[in-house]
Amino acid sequence: MIQVLLVEDDRELRTTLADALRVEGYEVHAAASLADGLALLAHSDIDLVLLDLGLPDGEGEELLHKLRKKNGTPLLVISAREQDGVKVRLLDAGADDYLVKPFSIVELLARMRVALRHRGQHVAAAVTRYEQDGLLVDLAAHRVCLNGADVHLTPTEFKLLARLLRSAGQVVTHRTLLTDVWGAECNEHTHYLRLYMGQLRAKLEVDSADPKRLLTEPGVGYRFS
Amino acid sequence: MHLYIPWLIGAALAVLALTLVRRLHAQAERAERHAFEAEQLRLLAEELRGLSDHAAMAASLARSLTPIAAASPIVMLLRDQLPPANATEAVHLLGETDANQWEGLWLSLRRGVAFGPGTLRHEEQNAWYLPLRSSSDARGAALLPLDLAPALTRRAHAQALCDQLGLALERAATERAARRSREAAKAQGLRNTLLATISHDYRTPLATIMSAASSLLAQDEKLDARQRERLARSIVEEARSLSRMTDNTLQLARLDGPDVRLACDWESVEEIIGAVIARLRLRGAHMDAHVRVKWRLSPDLPLLRCDAQLLTQAIDNLVDNALKYADGGAVEILAKREEEAVLIAVRDRGPGVPPAWRDRIFDVFRRGPENERPDGSRGAGVGLAACRAIALAHGGSLAYRARSHGGAAFEMRLPIEEVPQ
Repeated sequence: MIQVLLVEDDRELRTTLADALRVEGYEVHAAASLADGLALLAHSDIDLVLLDLGLPDGEGEELLHKLRKKNGTPLLVISAREQDGVKVRLLDAGADDYLVKPFSIVELLARMRVALRHRGQHVAAAVTRYEQDGLLVDLAAHRVCLNGADVHLTPTEFKLLARLLRSAGQVVTHRTLLTDVWGAECNEHTHYLRLYMGQLRAKLEVDSADPKRLLTEPGVGYRFS
Repeated sequence: MHLYIPWLIGAALAVLALTLVRRLHAQAERAERHAFEAEQLRLLAEELRGLSDHAAMAASLARSLTPIAAASPIVMLLRDQLPPANATEAVHLLGETDANQWEGLWLSLRRGVAFGPGTLRHEEQNAWYLPLRSSSDARGAALLPLDLAPALTRRAHAQALCDQLGLALERAATERAARRSREAAKAQGLRNTLLATISHDYRTPLATIMSAASSLLAQDEKLDARQRERLARSIVEEARSLSRMTDNTLQLARLDGPDVRLACDWESVEEIIGAVIARLRLRGAHMDAHVRVKWRLSPDLPLLRCDAQLLTQAIDNLVDNALKYADGGAVEILAKREEEAVLIAVRDRGPGVPPAWRDRIFDVFRRGPENERPDGSRGAGVGLAACRAIALAHGGSLAYRARSHGGAAFEMRLPIEEVPQ
């Protein structure tokens, strides 16, 4: 059974979420404080973390930093804070996703599934071949196939796709993508990203305005789903 | 004796003539001076009308007074209200005073009367202290240093000049007060609107949530599965609309502020509309959004310099609005390039907005019986107002257009900027 650590100080929300997740077959470890969360993290085998930010005994961010020093267990931030700065900072610090309260259970479950689907992929550096829903990417051979047909990508398009694949399921911020694909000196050139992402979608998606693989997080970054 | 009479008459006539000539001279001189003084007054009044800066106004009066004074005049004027105690920061002072002169100026200002030679007050002074009188009170005072033998007749003119400045200051103060009260009214208006929104628009969905949730709790065993589902669904939908209203109200308050800062970046229209579509999908089958909403994006769309989250919010609002009012019909999102702008339109074939409402749909409604929609549905509240505020903040526009074959079109135009290489 998949073990979920839920760190949320509001009792009503914690109970509601825990019940909803249990119904879906997750085993839920609920914590109301940062200290409880850290203790549970140390003593249980957690597969996914749901983390609130403002906790009575400290900032949830601390748990994210401690977790990322150890491993790449998927972590989703659930917070009422919506400032872009916070979102980008936590995603860059290794959070897989960021849900702004209020959200529906449907949305939470969908995001959890995405994070779990790609679990471990980005830590296993040996993964060079990706295959899902008719898309095949061979990173070593620089080859991309969609529904059995070869797709020609330019070197930059390929680099961008490979970078997103490396963090599949995670939101990768604009700055990180720009730095990793174009170089640190280009990390403000968001327009490069928009143009190449448009080209990539034109080649890999049925409808670029309604993408299934290359998803947009407005104002924050992109995610390979 | 009689022999002298003609001579005496002649002498008397000569004296008379001389007196007459002198008098005529004096009259001519006075007339000339009056004309000069009138012209000076007119010039000063004209000059003051164009000025709003205290320093410039004081300097202008000082220039006019200089011909009358034995040395440079000193001008002191109130910056704003009369302070309870004499205070340097409450006035603008042109020239330098000693302690005595400082007290004298304040006394003249506070009492609104003149001191010095010929005034019957403080006759011993070798200067005139003249208040700058407005229609109601003094707005400052001027100090004119005098000769040993001052032309006392000039005081009336000096006072008239001072009063010109007094009146100009009064005018400026009135304008300032009017501006302040306009700003206060605007801030107060927004606050009232927000409070009205919260009290009306928020209570309505809260009432639904409260009744649906308490019904689920208290009447559980009496409800069948279909009824339970309907209640649960209305809780979710009303909560969603509360959340949307909260976002819109916050955005509206923020965008109305004096220093709005947008998180602008180069954004793709396709991605922004894509984000709106993705949100719709999360709403599931509610209002059949997933089948009713279609989109058409032309392939030549340029990147926009904008705040992606705000724009997503605006288009999402427009689509939500269209879904509500399109009578279950299709809703279309359209994006195309125009000459200098990108047009993003949300259109439907519903009943459209009645003509009487078209001018007001973008206003944050002041709630009242006259503002209720005839069909009893809820107004757009802060939603459309937030959309327009977002468009304006980007240097764009948002307008309603009645479609030729029926239906509503909300058209947002955002300026195209040149993308760097």
